[in-house]
Amino acid sequence: MASTDMLEDDTLTEDSSNITFDRDRHVMYFKRCMNYLPEPYTSNDTNRMTLAFFGLGGIDLLNKIETIYSPVQREQWIDWIYAQQILPDKDNPELNRQICGFRGSPFSGLPYNPQGCHESRFPFDAAHIAMTYTALCTLLILGDDFSRIDRDAIVNGLTYLQKDDGSFTQTYNGMESDMRFLYCACAISYMLKDFSGIDIGKCIEYIRRSQGYDYGIAQKPGLESHGGSTYCAISALSLLNKIDEGLISKDRTIFWLLSRQVSGFQGRANKPEDTCYSFWIGASLKILGVFDLIDKEANRLFLSTTECHHGGFSKWPDLVPDIMHAYMGIAGLSLMDEPGMSTLDCALNISGKARQNLENSVFWQGD
Amino acid sequence: MTLSPYDLKSNYGDVTPIDQDDGPSPIAPIAYSTEYSTAMAYFRALVRNNEKSKRALDLTSDIIKHNPAHYTVWNYRQQILFTLDENLTKELEFVKGLARDNPKNYQLWHHRQVIVEKLSDSSKELEFINEVLDDDAKNYHAWSYRQWINTHFNLWDDELPFIDTLLKDDVRNNSAWNHRHFVVFHDLDAIDESLIQSEINYTKEKIRQTPNNISPWNYLRGVLEKSSRDIQELESFCKEFTDNDINSMGWLVDIYENRAKNGDDQAKEDAIKICESLANKYDTIRKAYWEYRKDEIAAPSS
Repeated sequence: MASTDMLEDDTLTEDSSNITFDRDRHVMYFKRCMNYLPEPYTSNDTNRMTLAFFGLGGIDLLNKIETIYSPVQREQWIDWIYAQQILPDKDNPELNRQICGFRGSPFSGLPYNPQGCHESRFPFDAAHIAMTYTALCTLLILGDDFSRIDRDAIVNGLTYLQKDDGSFTQTYNGMESDMRFLYCACAISYMLKDFSGIDIGKCIEYIRRSQGYDYGIAQKPGLESHGGSTYCAISALSLLNKIDEGLISKDRTIFWLLSRQVSGFQGRANKPEDTCYSFWIGASLKILGVFDLIDKEANRLFLSTTECHHGGFSKWPDLVPDIMHAYMGIAGLSLMDEPGMSTLDCALNISGKARQNLENSVFWQGD
Repeated sequence: MTLSPYDLKSNYGDVTPIDQDDGPSPIAPIAYSTEYSTAMAYFRALVRNNEKSKRALDLTSDIIKHNPAHYTVWNYRQQILFTLDENLTKELEFVKGLARDNPKNYQLWHHRQVIVEKLSDSSKELEFINEVLDDDAKNYHAWSYRQWINTHFNLWDDELPFIDTLLKDDVRNNSAWNHRHFVVFHDLDAIDESLIQSEINYTKEKIRQTPNNISPWNYLRGVLEKSSRDIQELESFCKEFTDNDINSMGWLVDIYENRAKNGDDQAKEDAIKICESLANKYDTIRKAYWEYRKDEIAAPSS
């Protein structure tokens, strides 16, 4: 009888706010990923820092970092992150100024050193701007205070990455440049409280030129408006405190964002809805102060269809979960104030507690 | 070709492989295949000496097959190709082979761009892009690369007929509509009243064929904004779709709101009425938005 009652509690729902959300299975999913990732993740070998960010960030949004990881474990992981920092050469800092920042993993084969590596430049081993961004976020998630960060080296490294059009490449001698890396540059500068490595005017100009005729924002001028690049642009503007200068028409951008809601959200007009856009679009709307205009119930219903039985979220219903969509599903729910979940700092994409750690970090003290 | 660990040891006997040092407590360790971790160990050794050789090139091919997102390996590969003066047309075949399984890999598209720029030859590119778009007509990387080809080689003539074909297949393909805007308006000097009018006519026709398709409506607004013309002139067109197309209803809200601001009380009433039916019947997922618009319109102007 008791079990029938419980079943009824679960199934007799009048609206989606009664959908039960099992926090623990997601914590276990992320925990498994942090301990071991199967072979298909090999294509993320150079991006392990982002995987760490998604996994530990997901656990943090579920308010469980300190419960499931001991202080010793957290300290060891902080060491692992610092071991990926490329520092200026001790004898001749000019030798490797262009490549300072963080790598995504120790793939270049240097000996492990939690103090970071000072080794002078060897070919093709350079920091990656998205790894520097996710390294800083993950340090905050783990409770670090940035005391081993070489701020000047990182800020100076950014000056080599901005292109004439205002966009950023991901590495020195980089392969691509677009809105993703512009966002990373702004988030890094914001977290380190030093914007001297980037040309803010050029950033704003690039964002303005990337707005489409529908007032969504593309990865590059001329391309199709896209939920991911729109998030990157709006967050960057928010961190620069330049929303009004950067958006040609805030009202029309808001309408473009709201038009992406199907039940969950799609990333582009006439595309299928996808878990991650509950975050990209939702966080953009929250930054613009109009998140309450979405249909939260419909969004929650869609996310319940991509939530996986053994934890995590998939991109679409009936697929296996992956760590990125798992994080985005959790982040999308936390925007809707799901009980038991942390708040989210939308522009930095970290929890309220990690944000607090930022404000207590060495570069923010004394202000 | 896949290099087995045995091949590696026999062909690279003079090289001491370097293993990855992940420290005592790695985050998110990946269960690499033996092939990948062995190839990477030799890669680290070769790259440390900046060796640019045929065997180094082969090694990059092998690693890329395991991990096509390895940007460092791609970068090294480019340096080797250029130093050894390798056949770059052959390299395009290598990329094409990989694109089948990895059509959304950033590095691969960028690599192709680097090679094509070096070759200064775009003759195979539209065909290559079309094949990818044949599988997925909304592949963002393919469209991004296409725009680079259009601009870099000043290749525009095939574009409008190609877009037409795509829109005949799927009139909701927003990527194709976006590309139309990119192509039609790439030459600012060519924009005149007759071009604007013909784009308006083309778009209206597509809207009439398939109502409730947001892409051409957005395109139409984009066309109007390239001229001095205003959406007000499209009132009667919008009315063709009353209660049948949420996009036309949204446009009418904009049109009437504008008139209401100039003191037209009937327009104000009409705008409010349409907001209500969008909120309560036709576009209920954006109910809160249409109610917000209604309140804005109803509020006495300051």
